[in-house]
Amino acid sequence: MTAPRPADYLALAFTYFAVGVTVSVAMIERGISIPTTLGAALVIYSATSELAFLAVRDAGGSAAIGVLSGWLVASRFGLLALSLGARYQAPTLERAAAAINSFDPNVGLAVQQADRSELRRVFWRVTAALMIGWWIGSLVGVFLGDVIGDGRAWGLDAVFPATLMAIIGALVRRRDGLTAAVVGAGICCLLIPVAPGGLPILASALGAVVAVLTFTRGPAGRSGPGPVTEDRA
Amino acid sequence: MSWWAIVAMSAGVAGQRLVGMFWAGPVLARRPTLSHLGDLLPAAVIAGVIAQLTFVSDARLTLDARAVGLLVAAVMVWRKAPLTVVVIAAAAATALVRLLA
Repeated sequence: MTAPRPADYLALAFTYFAVGVTVSVAMIERGISIPTTLGAALVIYSATSELAFLAVRDAGGSAAIGVLSGWLVASRFGLLALSLGARYQAPTLERAAAAINSFDPNVGLAVQQADRSELRRVFWRVTAALMIGWWIGSLVGVFLGDVIGDGRAWGLDAVFPATLMAIIGALVRRRDGLTAAVVGAGICCLLIPVAPGGLPILASALGAVVAVLTFTRGPAGRSGPGPVTEDRA
Repeated sequence: MSWWAIVAMSAGVAGQRLVGMFWAGPVLARRPTLSHLGDLLPAAVIAGVIAQLTFVSDARLTLDARAVGLLVAAVMVWRKAPLTVVVIAAAAATALVRLLA
Protein backbone atom coordinates (compact mmCIF):
# COMPACT_ATOMS: atom_id res chain seq x y z
CA MET A 1 0.00 0.00 0.00
CA THR A 2 1.43 3.41 -0.92
CA ALA A 3 -1.43 5.79 -1.71
CA PRO A 4 -4.42 4.81 0.47
CA ARG A 5 -7.80 4.27 -1.20
CA PRO A 6 -11.11 5.27 0.48
CA ALA A 7 -11.68 1.80 1.99
CA ASP A 8 -8.14 1.89 3.40
CA TYR A 9 -9.01 4.93 5.54
CA LEU A 10 -11.86 2.95 7.05
CA ALA A 11 -9.48 0.10 7.88
CA LEU A 12 -6.96 2.56 9.38
CA ALA A 13 -9.71 4.07 11.54
CA PHE A 14 -10.73 0.56 12.64
CA THR A 15 -7.13 -0.23 13.59
CA TYR A 16 -6.87 2.78 15.88
CA PHE A 17 -10.34 1.97 17.19
CA ALA A 18 -8.91 -1.39 18.31
CA VAL A 19 -5.90 0.36 19.85
CA GLY A 20 -8.14 2.88 21.64
CA VAL A 21 -10.32 0.11 23.08
CA THR A 22 -7.26 -1.86 24.22
CA VAL A 23 -5.67 1.08 26.06
CA SER A 24 -8.92 2.29 27.68
CA VAL A 25 -9.84 -1.16 28.90
CA ALA A 26 -6.30 -1.67 30.28
CA MET A 27 -6.50 1.63 32.20
CA ILE A 28 -10.04 1.08 33.56
CA GLU A 29 -9.19 -2.51 34.57
CA ARG A 30 -6.45 -1.11 36.83
CA GLY A 31 -8.90 1.16 38.65
CA ILE A 32 -7.85 4.36 36.87
CA SER A 33 -10.80 6.81 36.69
CA ILE A 34 -12.66 7.64 33.47
CA PRO A 35 -11.55 11.33 33.37
CA THR A 36 -7.92 10.33 33.95
CA THR A 37 -8.10 7.63 31.27
CA LEU A 38 -9.53 10.04 28.69
CA GLY A 39 -7.22 12.88 29.79
CA ALA A 40 -4.18 10.62 29.38
CA ALA A 41 -5.39 9.54 25.92
CA LEU A 42 -5.73 13.22 24.96
CA VAL A 43 -2.42 14.64 26.20
CA ILE A 44 0.06 11.74 26.17
CA TYR A 45 -0.90 10.94 22.61
CA SER A 46 0.97 7.65 22.52
CA ALA A 47 -0.89 4.41 23.16
CA THR A 48 2.29 2.36 23.48
CA SER A 49 3.69 4.80 26.08
CA GLU A 50 0.57 4.35 28.18
CA LEU A 51 0.80 0.57 27.88
CA ALA A 52 4.51 0.67 28.77
CA PHE A 53 3.70 2.74 31.87
CA LEU A 54 1.06 0.22 32.94
CA ALA A 55 3.40 -2.72 32.32
CA VAL A 56 6.06 -1.19 34.59
CA ARG A 57 3.48 -0.49 37.32
CA ASP A 58 2.15 -4.07 37.03
CA ALA A 59 5.68 -5.38 37.54
CA GLY A 60 5.94 -3.31 40.72
CA GLY A 61 8.11 -0.52 39.25
CA SER A 62 7.83 3.11 40.40
CA ALA A 63 5.86 5.77 38.51
CA ALA A 64 9.15 7.49 37.60
CA ILE A 65 10.44 4.31 35.90
CA GLY A 66 7.03 4.00 34.24
CA VAL A 67 7.34 7.51 32.78
CA LEU A 68 10.92 6.83 31.66
CA SER A 69 9.92 3.66 29.86
CA GLY A 70 6.98 5.52 28.27
CA TRP A 71 9.46 8.10 26.91
CA LEU A 72 11.72 5.35 25.64
CA VAL A 73 8.83 3.68 23.80
CA ALA A 74 7.87 7.05 22.29
CA SER A 75 11.43 7.62 21.03
CA ARG A 76 10.31 5.91 17.83
CA PHE A 77 7.94 8.83 17.26
CA GLY A 78 10.97 11.12 17.43
CA LEU A 79 12.59 9.03 14.70
CA LEU A 80 9.39 9.02 12.63
CA ALA A 81 9.00 12.80 13.05
CA LEU A 82 12.61 13.10 11.92
CA SER A 83 11.85 11.07 8.81
CA LEU A 84 8.79 13.24 8.14
CA GLY A 85 10.64 16.48 8.98
CA ALA A 86 13.24 15.77 6.32
CA ARG A 87 10.54 16.03 3.62
CA TYR A 88 7.68 18.04 5.14
CA GLN A 89 7.67 21.68 4.02
CA ALA A 90 5.06 24.01 5.52
CA PRO A 91 4.72 26.97 7.92
CA THR A 92 6.19 26.39 11.39
CA LEU A 93 2.86 25.96 13.14
CA GLU A 94 1.73 23.29 10.67
CA ARG A 95 5.06 21.49 11.04
CA ALA A 96 4.64 21.53 14.83
CA ALA A 97 1.13 20.10 14.49
CA ALA A 98 2.45 17.41 12.14
CA ALA A 99 5.24 16.55 14.59
CA ILE A 100 2.81 16.14 17.51
CA ASN A 101 0.59 13.97 15.29
CA SER A 102 3.42 11.68 14.13
CA PHE A 103 2.31 8.07 14.45
CA ASP A 104 3.43 4.91 12.66
CA PRO A 105 0.71 4.73 9.96
CA ASN A 106 0.55 8.38 8.90
CA VAL A 107 4.32 8.91 8.71
CA GLY A 108 4.90 5.48 7.18
CA LEU A 109 2.47 6.23 4.36
CA ALA A 110 3.27 9.95 3.92
CA VAL A 111 7.01 9.54 3.38
CA GLN A 112 6.32 7.06 0.56
CA GLN A 113 4.67 9.82 -1.52
CA ALA A 114 6.87 11.15 -4.28
CA ASP A 115 5.23 14.57 -4.39
CA ARG A 116 5.51 17.07 -1.50
CA SER A 117 1.89 18.26 -1.60
CA GLU A 118 0.71 14.64 -1.88
CA LEU A 119 2.82 13.87 1.19
CA ARG A 120 0.99 16.53 3.21
CA ARG A 121 -2.43 15.45 1.92
CA VAL A 122 -1.88 11.76 2.72
CA PHE A 123 -0.40 12.60 6.14
CA TRP A 124 -3.40 14.63 7.29
CA ARG A 125 -6.04 12.34 5.79
CA VAL A 126 -4.51 9.31 7.50
CA THR A 127 -4.20 11.35 10.73
CA ALA A 128 -7.92 12.20 10.59
CA ALA A 129 -8.83 8.52 10.11
CA LEU A 130 -6.59 7.51 13.02
CA MET A 131 -8.04 10.15 15.35
CA ILE A 132 -11.66 9.29 14.58
CA GLY A 133 -10.94 5.62 15.28
CA TRP A 134 -8.84 6.37 18.37
CA TRP A 135 -11.50 8.55 20.03
CA ILE A 136 -14.43 6.26 19.30
CA GLY A 137 -12.31 3.34 20.51
CA SER A 138 -11.23 5.15 23.70
CA LEU A 139 -14.84 6.06 24.54
CA VAL A 140 -16.13 2.56 23.75
CA GLY A 141 -13.37 1.05 25.90
CA VAL A 142 -14.14 3.36 28.81
CA PHE A 143 -17.92 2.94 28.80
CA LEU A 144 -18.49 -0.47 27.20
CA GLY A 145 -15.32 -2.34 28.15
CA ASP A 146 -17.29 -4.85 30.23
CA VAL A 147 -19.66 -5.58 27.36
CA ILE A 148 -16.92 -6.28 24.81
CA GLY A 149 -14.93 -8.42 27.21
CA ASP A 150 -11.50 -9.66 26.21
CA GLY A 151 -10.66 -8.16 22.80
CA ARG A 152 -8.07 -10.86 22.25
CA ALA A 153 -10.81 -13.46 21.74
CA TRP A 154 -11.74 -11.41 18.65
CA GLY A 155 -8.15 -11.25 17.52
CA LEU A 156 -8.13 -7.47 18.08
CA ASP A 157 -4.48 -7.55 19.15
CA ALA A 158 -3.53 -8.81 15.67
CA VAL A 159 -5.08 -5.76 13.98
CA PHE A 160 -2.32 -3.23 14.70
CA PRO A 161 0.64 -5.39 13.60
CA ALA A 162 -1.28 -6.41 10.44
CA THR A 163 -1.90 -2.77 9.55
CA LEU A 164 1.73 -1.87 10.14
CA MET A 165 2.75 -4.74 7.87
CA ALA A 166 0.54 -3.35 5.08
CA ILE A 167 1.97 0.14 5.61
CA ILE A 168 5.56 -0.95 5.06
CA GLY A 169 4.44 -3.41 2.35
CA ALA A 170 5.63 -1.22 -0.52
CA LEU A 171 8.93 -0.45 1.23
CA VAL A 172 9.77 -4.11 1.84
CA ARG A 173 9.32 -4.87 -1.86
CA ARG A 174 12.53 -2.87 -2.38
CA ARG A 175 15.80 -4.56 -1.45
CA ASP A 176 16.93 -1.67 0.77
CA GLY A 177 13.54 -1.47 2.50
CA LEU A 178 13.44 -5.24 3.06
CA THR A 179 16.94 -5.18 4.54
CA ALA A 180 16.01 -2.30 6.87
CA ALA A 181 12.86 -4.11 8.04
CA VAL A 182 14.38 -7.59 8.51
CA VAL A 183 17.51 -6.32 10.27
CA GLY A 184 15.43 -3.91 12.38
CA ALA A 185 13.01 -6.64 13.48
CA GLY A 186 15.94 -9.03 14.12
CA ILE A 187 17.78 -6.54 16.34
CA CYS A 188 14.56 -5.86 18.22
CA CYS A 189 13.96 -9.58 18.87
CA LEU A 190 17.57 -10.16 19.98
CA LEU A 191 17.39 -7.32 22.50
CA ILE A 192 13.94 -8.08 23.91
CA PRO A 193 15.12 -10.64 26.52
CA VAL A 194 17.97 -8.44 27.76
CA ALA A 195 17.07 -4.74 27.28
CA PRO A 196 14.44 -2.64 29.10
CA GLY A 197 11.12 -2.00 27.30
CA GLY A 198 11.35 0.50 24.47
CA LEU A 199 15.08 0.14 23.88
CA PRO A 200 14.70 -2.83 21.47
CA ILE A 201 12.38 -0.75 19.25
CA LEU A 202 14.73 2.23 19.35
CA ALA A 203 17.63 -0.06 18.38
CA SER A 204 15.66 -1.43 15.42
CA ALA A 205 16.44 1.93 13.73
CA LEU A 206 19.92 0.47 13.16
CA GLY A 207 18.28 -1.71 10.50
CA ALA A 208 17.96 1.44 8.36
CA VAL A 209 21.66 2.25 8.92
CA VAL A 210 22.66 -1.26 7.81
CA ALA A 211 20.45 -0.95 4.72
CA VAL A 212 21.91 2.44 3.76
CA LEU A 213 25.48 1.17 4.17
CA THR A 214 24.67 -1.94 2.11
CA PHE A 215 22.86 -0.26 -0.75
CA THR A 216 24.68 3.06 -1.07
CA ARG A 217 26.99 3.04 -4.03
CA GLY A 218 30.24 4.95 -4.40
CA PRO A 219 33.54 5.04 -2.47
CA ALA A 220 33.30 4.47 1.29
CA GLY A 221 29.53 4.69 1.03
CA ARG A 222 29.69 8.48 1.01
CA SER A 223 27.54 9.24 -2.01
CA GLY A 224 23.78 9.03 -2.05
CA PRO A 225 21.44 6.59 -3.77
CA GLY A 226 20.71 6.86 -7.46
CA PRO A 227 23.11 7.41 -10.34
CA VAL A 228 26.64 8.19 -9.20
CA THR A 229 28.89 9.66 -11.83
CA GLU A 230 30.54 13.00 -11.07
CA ASP A 231 32.35 12.12 -7.87
CA ARG A 232 33.94 9.01 -9.37
CA ALA A 233 36.41 11.15 -11.33
CA MET B 1 -1.77 7.03 36.89
CA SER B 2 -1.18 10.33 38.72
CA TRP B 3 -1.42 13.71 37.03
CA TRP B 4 2.28 14.47 37.40
CA ALA B 5 3.05 11.22 35.60
CA ILE B 6 0.67 12.18 32.79
CA VAL B 7 2.20 15.67 32.46
CA ALA B 8 5.77 14.36 32.54
CA MET B 9 4.95 11.66 30.00
CA SER B 10 3.23 14.13 27.63
CA ALA B 11 6.14 16.59 27.77
CA GLY B 12 8.69 13.87 27.00
CA VAL B 13 6.68 12.36 24.15
CA ALA B 14 5.85 15.71 22.50
CA GLY B 15 9.41 16.96 23.01
CA GLN B 16 10.93 14.01 21.15
CA ARG B 17 8.52 14.50 18.24
CA LEU B 18 9.33 18.22 18.00
CA VAL B 19 13.09 17.61 18.15
CA GLY B 20 12.76 15.07 15.34
CA MET B 21 10.73 17.41 13.15
CA PHE B 22 12.56 20.71 13.68
CA TRP B 23 16.13 19.75 14.36
CA ALA B 24 17.05 16.24 13.24
CA GLY B 25 14.78 16.10 10.16
CA PRO B 26 16.20 19.22 8.41
CA VAL B 27 19.77 18.10 9.20
CA LEU B 28 19.03 14.82 7.42
CA ALA B 29 17.41 16.49 4.43
CA ARG B 30 20.63 18.35 3.53
CA ARG B 31 22.68 15.21 2.97
CA PRO B 32 21.76 12.61 0.31
CA THR B 33 22.99 9.53 2.21
CA LEU B 34 21.27 10.68 5.36
CA SER B 35 18.04 11.43 3.53
CA HIS B 36 18.13 7.85 2.22
CA LEU B 37 18.40 6.86 5.89
CA GLY B 38 15.34 9.00 6.65
CA ASP B 39 13.37 7.19 3.92
CA LEU B 40 14.23 3.78 5.38
CA LEU B 41 13.79 4.61 9.09
CA PRO B 42 10.01 3.97 9.06
CA ALA B 43 10.56 0.48 7.56
CA ALA B 44 13.12 -0.43 10.25
CA VAL B 45 11.31 1.12 13.23
CA ILE B 46 7.84 -0.10 12.22
CA ALA B 47 9.27 -3.61 11.72
CA GLY B 48 10.60 -3.38 15.28
CA VAL B 49 7.16 -2.38 16.55
CA ILE B 50 5.59 -5.31 14.64
CA ALA B 51 8.10 -7.71 16.25
CA GLN B 52 7.43 -6.27 19.70
CA LEU B 53 3.63 -6.52 19.29
CA THR B 54 3.73 -10.03 17.87
CA PHE B 55 6.53 -11.95 19.54
CA VAL B 56 6.60 -10.55 23.08
CA SER B 57 4.59 -11.21 26.16
CA ASP B 58 5.81 -10.36 29.67
CA ALA B 59 9.13 -9.16 28.26
CA ARG B 60 9.86 -12.61 26.80
CA LEU B 61 10.00 -13.85 23.24
CA THR B 62 6.93 -15.98 22.59
CA LEU B 63 5.35 -17.71 19.66
CA ASP B 64 1.56 -17.78 19.87
CA ALA B 65 -1.63 -17.14 17.88
CA ARG B 66 -0.46 -13.60 17.01
CA ALA B 67 2.35 -15.07 14.90
CA VAL B 68 -0.22 -16.88 12.76
CA GLY B 69 -2.14 -13.62 12.34
CA LEU B 70 1.03 -11.84 11.24
CA LEU B 71 1.91 -14.60 8.79
CA VAL B 72 -1.57 -14.34 7.25
CA ALA B 73 -1.17 -10.55 7.09
CA ALA B 74 2.22 -10.89 5.38
CA VAL B 75 0.80 -13.24 2.72
CA MET B 76 -2.15 -10.88 2.13
CA VAL B 77 0.15 -7.86 1.81
CA TRP B 78 2.37 -9.81 -0.59
CA ARG B 79 -0.70 -10.62 -2.73
CA LYS B 80 -1.55 -6.89 -2.62
CA ALA B 81 -4.87 -7.39 -0.85
CA PRO B 82 -6.68 -4.22 0.32
CA LEU B 83 -5.98 -3.14 3.92
CA THR B 84 -9.51 -4.07 5.03
CA VAL B 85 -8.95 -7.66 3.89
CA VAL B 86 -5.48 -7.78 5.49
CA VAL B 87 -6.84 -6.62 8.85
CA ILE B 88 -9.92 -8.87 8.90
CA ALA B 89 -7.96 -11.94 7.78
CA ALA B 90 -5.25 -11.40 10.42
CA ALA B 91 -7.79 -10.89 13.22
CA ALA B 92 -9.87 -13.88 12.10
CA ALA B 93 -6.81 -16.17 11.85
CA THR B 94 -5.63 -15.14 15.33
CA ALA B 95 -9.08 -15.60 16.86
CA LEU B 96 -9.47 -18.98 15.15
CA VAL B 97 -6.13 -20.29 16.45
CA ARG B 98 -7.11 -19.18 19.99
CA LEU B 99 -10.50 -20.86 19.64
CA LEU B 100 -8.92 -24.15 18.55
CA ALA B 101 -6.04 -24.08 21.02
